[in-house]
Amino acid sequence: MSDKEVAKKLVDLGKELESLIQKGREPKMTVPQRGRSNVSFDEEANLLRMGDKDSSRNFLNVAHTKKFMQTTLIASKCRDFVESGKTASIRELYYQMKHTIKGTKENTFEDQSESDPLIVDLETMLSVLREELHLKADDKGTLIGNIVIEDTGDVIDCSKLGRSGLSIPSIVEHYKFQEVDADYCLVIETGAMFDRLVEEKFPQKNNCIMVSTKGQAARGCRRLVNRLSREEKLPIIMFTDGDPWGYYIYSVVKAGSMALAHESERLGTPETQFVGMTMSDVEDFGLEKVTEQLKDVDKKRIRELLQYPWFQKKEWRRELKLMEQKGVRIEQQALASKSLEFVAKEYLPEKINSKQLLP
Amino acid sequence: MPKDQPIEGGERSADDLFKSFKEVSITEFFRKNKAHLGYSGKVRSLTTVVHELVTNSLDACEEAGILPDLELNIKQLGVEHYRYSCRDNGPGIPAKHVSRVFGKMLAGTKFHRNIQLRGQQGIGVAGVTMFSQMTTGKPVRIRTSIGDGDVHEIHLLVDVSKNEADIVETKIYKERWRGTEIIGELKGVLFNLSEQGPYEYLRRTAIANPHIRITFIDPEGRKSVFERASKEIPKRPEEVKSHPKGMDVDEISNMAKKTSATRVSSFLENDFSRISKSKVNEIQSKVHFDLKKNPRKLSWSEAEELAKAFEAVDFMAPPIAGLCPIGEAQVRKAVLNILKPEFEAVVERTPAVHSGGVPFQIEVAVAYGGNAGREITDGGMRTEVMRFSNRVPLLFDAGGCALQQAANSVDWKRYGIRDFDNSPFTVFINLISTHIPYTSAGKQSVASDDEIVKEIRMALMDVGRKFNRYHSRKRRDLERAERFNTLMRYSGELAKAISALTGGDEKELEERIKDIVTKKLKFTPQEEPDKKPGKKKKVEEGDEE
Repeated sequence: MSDKEVAKKLVDLGKELESLIQKGREPKMTVPQRGRSNVSFDEEANLLRMGDKDSSRNFLNVAHTKKFMQTTLIASKCRDFVESGKTASIRELYYQMKHTIKGTKENTFEDQSESDPLIVDLETMLSVLREELHLKADDKGTLIGNIVIEDTGDVIDCSKLGRSGLSIPSIVEHYKFQEVDADYCLVIETGAMFDRLVEEKFPQKNNCIMVSTKGQAARGCRRLVNRLSREEKLPIIMFTDGDPWGYYIYSVVKAGSMALAHESERLGTPETQFVGMTMSDVEDFGLEKVTEQLKDVDKKRIRELLQYPWFQKKEWRRELKLMEQKGVRIEQQALASKSLEFVAKEYLPEKINSKQLLP
Repeated sequence: MPKDQPIEGGERSADDLFKSFKEVSITEFFRKNKAHLGYSGKVRSLTTVVHELVTNSLDACEEAGILPDLELNIKQLGVEHYRYSCRDNGPGIPAKHVSRVFGKMLAGTKFHRNIQLRGQQGIGVAGVTMFSQMTTGKPVRIRTSIGDGDVHEIHLLVDVSKNEADIVETKIYKERWRGTEIIGELKGVLFNLSEQGPYEYLRRTAIANPHIRITFIDPEGRKSVFERASKEIPKRPEEVKSHPKGMDVDEISNMAKKTSATRVSSFLENDFSRISKSKVNEIQSKVHFDLKKNPRKLSWSEAEELAKAFEAVDFMAPPIAGLCPIGEAQVRKAVLNILKPEFEAVVERTPAVHSGGVPFQIEVAVAYGGNAGREITDGGMRTEVMRFSNRVPLLFDAGGCALQQAANSVDWKRYGIRDFDNSPFTVFINLISTHIPYTSAGKQSVASDDEIVKEIRMALMDVGRKFNRYHSRKRRDLERAERFNTLMRYSGELAKAISALTGGDEKELEERIKDIVTKKLKFTPQEEPDKKPGKKKKVEEGDEE
C-alpha cells in the first residue's frame, strides 16, 4: 500500500468522526476484536486466523473514553509520519504523544504499554501494516550463518559477523536474500543457547542458518523466518526450553499469535518443526536430575495450552500431559550438565539427522 | 467484733455506740457501694461527678421550666488532682434547702418512685460532696441565687455522723444573677478524652438533650460549646404505679410498710397498676395467708409468696404514660447540631414490653460523615455506638450490653456499609423505660432481653435501609459526575487529534463534543453557590472553562 493510500485511510477515519460530531452523534469507531474470542485455527493451513467480530469503541462510554482519545491521537501522529516520510519507533511515537492534558495533572499516555496495543488496533481497523504507518519497534533477535543479505544497497554476509551475528530489525521487508547456502534454519529461544552454538561452530559444522528469538519472537524475527521458509524453501527447526512458555513461542512462530492473527499469513511459518526440549528427552538423555519443579503458573499455562485448538495434535497433547504428570520442566541449558559441547555435538545432530522432530 | 470478747477500756454508752455505728454506716455505705454508685476507677469517678452535677442542674432547670444553660470547668491542680465547677441558670436553691440537697446522702426524691428519670444512677449530688470530701478533706462551695439579688455562698461538708450538711462558711452578697454553682476539688481521678471521659459524657448528653446548652472547659483550657438545638423543654414523665411484673421481694415489703391501705388486698389494688379485684382473688388462690391482713404486718416470707404469685398471674401491660421519648424531630435536631453529618436517619419505635410487662420504647439514629464516628490515632475512622438509657449516656461495660449486642448483630453490609467497625458512623440508641433491666448495679449495661434486642434491631435495620437508599443514590451521582468530568477532560484532546487529521476547526469541534457529552449525560455540573476567595480549587475545574 502506498503512503498516499495509508494517509487517506487515516484522514478518512478523522472525517468519519468529524461528521458524527457535526451531526451531534456520539463519536464511535469500529475495531476488530483481538484476542482469543475472535481467533480461529485454520487446521489446513496451520495458521491462526482472525474472525470478523467487531467491537465498537464509543467516546461516551467512560471505559473507552481514554482509549478512544488515544487511538485518534495515534492516527493523527501516524499521518504526520507518513506524510513527512519519516519512520518512528513505537517508543518515539509514545513520547511524541505524551503530554499533560490541559487543566489536569493527567497525561495523555502514562506508559508505552498504553500506546502499543492501540497501534495494533489501528492496524487492524484500517487493514494496514505497522510499517505502513511508518512505525517500527526495537531490533530483537539475531541471525547468523551462510546467508548474504542486501539492505538498501549494502551487502551483509551473515557468516562474517563474528560471534554476534546480525541484529534483526522490526521491519525486514526491504531485505533481499542474495545468496543462501544452508540445509535448514535453526530457530533458538534463548540468547545463551545461541551463543553456545556459535562458539561450537554449529552453523558451519551442520550447514545451517541460526536465528535467536531472545524470548517471544518479535514481528521482524517472525517475518524473516517466514520469508526464509517461503522464498528460500529452507526447512525451519525450532529449539526452545521444555516448558509451556517455550512451546508457546514455537506455536507463535509456526501458526501466528492471537494478538496479530490478522497478519498470520505474513508472520506464521506452518512448516516449522520442533526439535526440543521435549519430555522424552529427559528420559532419552538421562536428564532427570536437572529438571525443575513446575510452579503453579506453569501448571496453569499447561492447562491453557491444552485448550488451544492449535495445540490439539496428539504429539503436543502427549508432551503437555507428560509434563503435567511429571510436574517438571527442562531448560535448554540443562544439556550442559553432560558437557558444554554436548548440545552441539550429540543432542541436536542426533535428533535432527534421525528426524526426531515434532510437528 | 465478736460479742463474747471483753472490751478494753470498759463499757461504752449506747449513745456512743450508736453514734459510731452511724458514722461507720454512712461512709461504709459509700465505700462499699462505690462501684454501684459509679465511683470506681479514676476516669469513671470523674465522669460520675460530672454526671451528678449535670443531672442535678438539668432536673432543677426542667422542673422550673427553664431552658438549661450549663457551664462546666475542670482544671488540673496536680497529679490526679482537679478542681471542678458547674454553673447553671436554674431557679436557684433557697438558702435553707442547700444543706439538704448537697449535704445529705440518699435524700433524693427519686427513690422508690416508679418514674423514668435521669437520676436512676448514683446517689445524687450529695455523693459529689461526699466524694470530694473523702479524697481531699475539703468542703464544696455552693453559690446560689433565686434571682432576688442575694447570692448565698455556702461551704459545706457532709457530717458523716449525722448524715447531714456541716456548714463551714456562709456568705451573702449582692449580685444580679440566678442559678446555682458548685465548686469543689477531687483527688485520685483522671481526666482524658476517651470514650469514657467527661467530654464524651457531655457530648452524648447534648445529643440526647437537644434543649440544653453546655459549655465545657477542659484541663487543657479547650473550650467546647454544645449549642442548643431546640427550645422545647421535654415534658416531665408522669409517675406511674408499680406494675407487679418485675417487682422483687424487697420492693414489695418496702411498699407494704409505707402504704396507707389497711389490708393487703386493698394495698395490692391501690398501690399497683393493673391489679383488679379479680386479680386479687387470683393472687389469693396462690398464697397461703389471708389478704385481709394488715400490710404493715406482712412478713418477708409472705412478701416472697406475693412476688411468686405476681410471676404466675397474667396482668395487663402497664400504661405507657410513664414513657417519655426524646422524639424523632428532636433527636434529628440534636444529631444535626452536634454531629453535623452528611446523612442522618432517625427511627422511633412504638412502645413494647419487656420482662413480661415493663413498657419500653426504642429510639435510634444513625449519622454518617461530618463529625460522626470517632477518629483514631492513625487518622482512620471508627464507628461509635452511643448507648443511652432514659437519655443518660452509658459509657461503660459496652461488652455485655444488649444495646451494643443489637447494633453488632445487624448485618450492616446489607445496607451498603462494608466495614461497620471502621466507618465514619455514629449509631445512637436510646432505651426508654420505667424500669431498665441493668446487668449489674453499676447500671452501665442493659441485660440482653429478647424483646429489647429485637426492637433495637428492627429500628436499626430501618435506619440501615434509609442509609442504603441515600448511599447508593450518592454513589450513582458521584459516578455520573466522574463520568462527566472524564469526558470533559478528554474532549479537548480528541478535538485536537481530529482537527490534526482533517484540518477541521479545533475549538468548534471541542464545543460540539462537549455539547454531545452534556446532552447525552443530561448532566449539568453543579454551580458553586458562592466562590469564596482563597478557597482551594479542585484540579478538575480547570477544563470546564
